[in-house]
Amino acid sequence: MEWSETYTAAALGSHLLVGLSRAMILFIVTSGLSFVLGVLRVPNVAHGSLYMIGAFAAFSIVNVLGGGAPAFWAALLLAPLIVAAVSLVAERALFCHLYEREHLMLLLFTFALMLILGDLVKMVWGADYRSIMAPEFLRGSVPVFGSPFPKYNLFLLVVGPVVAVGLWLFSSRTRIGKIARAAAVDREMVGAVGINVSWVFAFAFVLGCFLAGLGGALVAPTVSVTLGMDHDIIIEAFLIVTIGGLGNMWGAMVGSLIFGVTQSFGVLFWPQFAIVFPYVAVVIVLTLRPKGLLKSVW
Amino acid sequence: MKAMHHRQSIWLPVIFLLAAATALILMPAAAGARNIKVGIIDCYSGPAAVYGNDALNGFKLALKDINRKGVLGKKIEFTTRDTKFKVDLALSMARELVMREDVDVLVGTINSGAAMAVSESIAKRQKVPFIVWISKSERITGEKGHRYVFSTGENTAMAGKAGGLALSHKPYKRYWIAGDDYEYGHAIANAAWRNLSTARPSVVKIGESWWKPGEPDLIPYITSILTADPDAVIFCTGGRSMTNIMKAIKATGMAEKMPIWIHTATDHAVLKPLGAEAPEGVMGTMDYHFYYPDISANRNFVNKFMKEYGNPPGFPAFHGYITAYYIAEAFRKAGEVDKERFIDALEGLKINSPAGPIEMRACDHQVILPMYLGETEYSPEHKVVISSDIVTLRGSEVMPSCSDIIEARGQ
Repeated sequence: MEWSETYTAAALGSHLLVGLSRAMILFIVTSGLSFVLGVLRVPNVAHGSLYMIGAFAAFSIVNVLGGGAPAFWAALLLAPLIVAAVSLVAERALFCHLYEREHLMLLLFTFALMLILGDLVKMVWGADYRSIMAPEFLRGSVPVFGSPFPKYNLFLLVVGPVVAVGLWLFSSRTRIGKIARAAAVDREMVGAVGINVSWVFAFAFVLGCFLAGLGGALVAPTVSVTLGMDHDIIIEAFLIVTIGGLGNMWGAMVGSLIFGVTQSFGVLFWPQFAIVFPYVAVVIVLTLRPKGLLKSVW
Repeated sequence: MKAMHHRQSIWLPVIFLLAAATALILMPAAAGARNIKVGIIDCYSGPAAVYGNDALNGFKLALKDINRKGVLGKKIEFTTRDTKFKVDLALSMARELVMREDVDVLVGTINSGAAMAVSESIAKRQKVPFIVWISKSERITGEKGHRYVFSTGENTAMAGKAGGLALSHKPYKRYWIAGDDYEYGHAIANAAWRNLSTARPSVVKIGESWWKPGEPDLIPYITSILTADPDAVIFCTGGRSMTNIMKAIKATGMAEKMPIWIHTATDHAVLKPLGAEAPEGVMGTMDYHFYYPDISANRNFVNKFMKEYGNPPGFPAFHGYITAYYIAEAFRKAGEVDKERFIDALEGLKINSPAGPIEMRACDHQVILPMYLGETEYSPEHKVVISSDIVTLRGSEVMPSCSDIIEARGQ
C-alpha cells in the first residue's frame, strides 16, 4: 500500500480525534488517582476497582430505570455518587488510620482492598458480561474526515474538558479546593493553621473516587462491563500519573493525551505492534524526565 | 488419682491405633464399592467464571439423569477446584485431585494454557484420562495430543477452517485480519487464513492489527481498517473483547460497509447482553445454539436446562452435558472402573447429543462436531439478535484430517 494513500490528512485527523476521546476517559480516571496521590500520598491501587464499581452501578441504574436517555443521565450522576459513598465508608473506616504508614504498606493495603472489592463486585453483580446502551441520540456515528466517528466519542470529547475545567475551578477558586492543594504541598502546615486535616483528606479521597466512578459510568456504554476492568485501567492510570507528574492534575491531562494519542496513531502506523506505542512513549518520557513532565508534588 | 490418669493416657492412643488399623483393613472393601469420581478443574472466579459455571451446570444437569439409572451399579460424583484462570493453580489442583482424591477422570478447563499443562504433566505422566471441555486451542488434541487427553469442545482449527472455507465461497479478494494478541486470536487467524488461501489462492492479506485482550477502545483499530478499505475483515477475538468489538462495529456502522467474519459472533452469550446494540449482518460460527438445530433432542435439553437454571444453555453447557454422557457411556462400555479400559472405550464412541449423533474421533480424541455458520439478525421471536440463515458445516469438513494430525504430532 502506498504511504500517501494510507496516511492522508483525513486518516491522521480521524485518528487524532479517536485518540483524544480515549484520552478523555483516561484523564477523568487518572485525575482522581492523581488527586488522591497528591493530597493524601496514597497510591490507591483500588482506584481501578472503584472505576469498575462505577460501571456496574451505571448498569444497575440504567436497568432499574428501564433504559432510555433519562436513565442514562441518572446513571452518569448517581453511579459516581454511589462510588463516592463506598469510598467514604472505606476512608472513614480504614484509610484514615493509615495515612502515616509508609508507601509500601499503603500499596499492599490498597492492593488487598482491590481484591476484596473485586470479589464484592462478583458477589453483587455476578461474573456475567454486562452491557448498557448510550441514549438514542448518542448511538451510531457521524462522518468526520471521511471516516465514521462514533457520536458517543464526540460526547466524551465534550465531557473531558468540562470535567477538567470544573476540577481546575474547584481547586483554584473554592476554599476547600485551595486547602486540599495546600495539603498536597505541606500537610503539617495546613494542620498547624488550625484546619481539620482529617476531613480535608476524607473529602479529597471521596472526590478522587467520585472521578473514578464517573470514568466507569462514562466508559460503560462502549465496552463490556465485567470483572477485570479494574486491572485493565489501573496500570495505565499509574503510568499516566507517573509521566504527567505525581499529583499534578494537568500532568494527568498531558499524560492521558500522550497515552491516548500515541495508541491511536500506533494503530494507524504499525497496526501489528500498536500495543507497544503508548508504553514506548512512557519509557521515552521517563528517560528524559524521570520525575514526569509537569511538576510533581511529591 | 494420679495412677488412673496415667492409665487413661496410655489407653487412649492404643484405642486410636486400633481404630486406625481397623479402618485400614476395611478400606479396600469400601474402595471397591465407591462411586466413579470426576475431578473438575476450571475457572470459577474472574471474568471467565461465566463459562466455567455454564459448563458445570450442563454437566450437573446430565448427571441428574445419569445417576438415576447409575453406571455399573455406581453413581458418578464430582468435585470442583477453582483455578482462578491460573496455570500453576490448575496444575497443583489437578495433582491434588489425582493424588489425594484419587479421581478416575479429570475434566476442565477454559484456559488453554492450563489445559495443556495439565494434559502434559498430569494426564500423560500419571496416566489419568483428562477431558478438555471449553478451551479451544487446537494443539490440545493436535500436535500436543496423546493417549490420555480428549476434547469435547470445538477448537481453533475447526473454527478457523469453518470460517476460511465459508469465506472462500465469497468473491472477496483483499482481506484485513485483526484480533486479540494472544494464542487464541492468532490460532484462529492462522487456521482461517491457511484454509481460505488454500481454497482460494487469489486472496491477499492487505494488513493486520493486534490489540491486547480486553482492550477497551477498539475505535482506532476500526477507523484504520475502514481507511484501508479491504473487501472483507476477519476479527479474531474472544471473551471480553467480543462485546467490545461488537459494540465498536455497531457504533461505527462497520458491518454495513464491509463483510465481517468473527468466530462466536453469533454466540448468545455475546449477543444477549448487547441487546439492541448488537450489530446485524456480522458473519459468525458456533458449534451450538439453543435454538438450532431445531430437533427434539435439543428442545428437550433446552427445556430441562431452562427449568433448572432459568436461562438457556450456552455452548459451554452443551460441552459439559455431552462430557457427562461420554464419561457415563465409556464406563458402561468398558464394563469396569479402569482408566485404560475407559480410554479404549471412549475412542470412537458414538453418543446421541442435543445436536444429534456425535462421535469421539479415535485418531486424535477430538469430538466431531458440526459448525453452524450464520449471520447476526434481530429475531422478534427471541427479542434479541440471533444467528440466522444458518448453514451447517459437517464436522468431517471442518476438522483437520487424521493424517494432518499424525503429521502435526511428528509421528
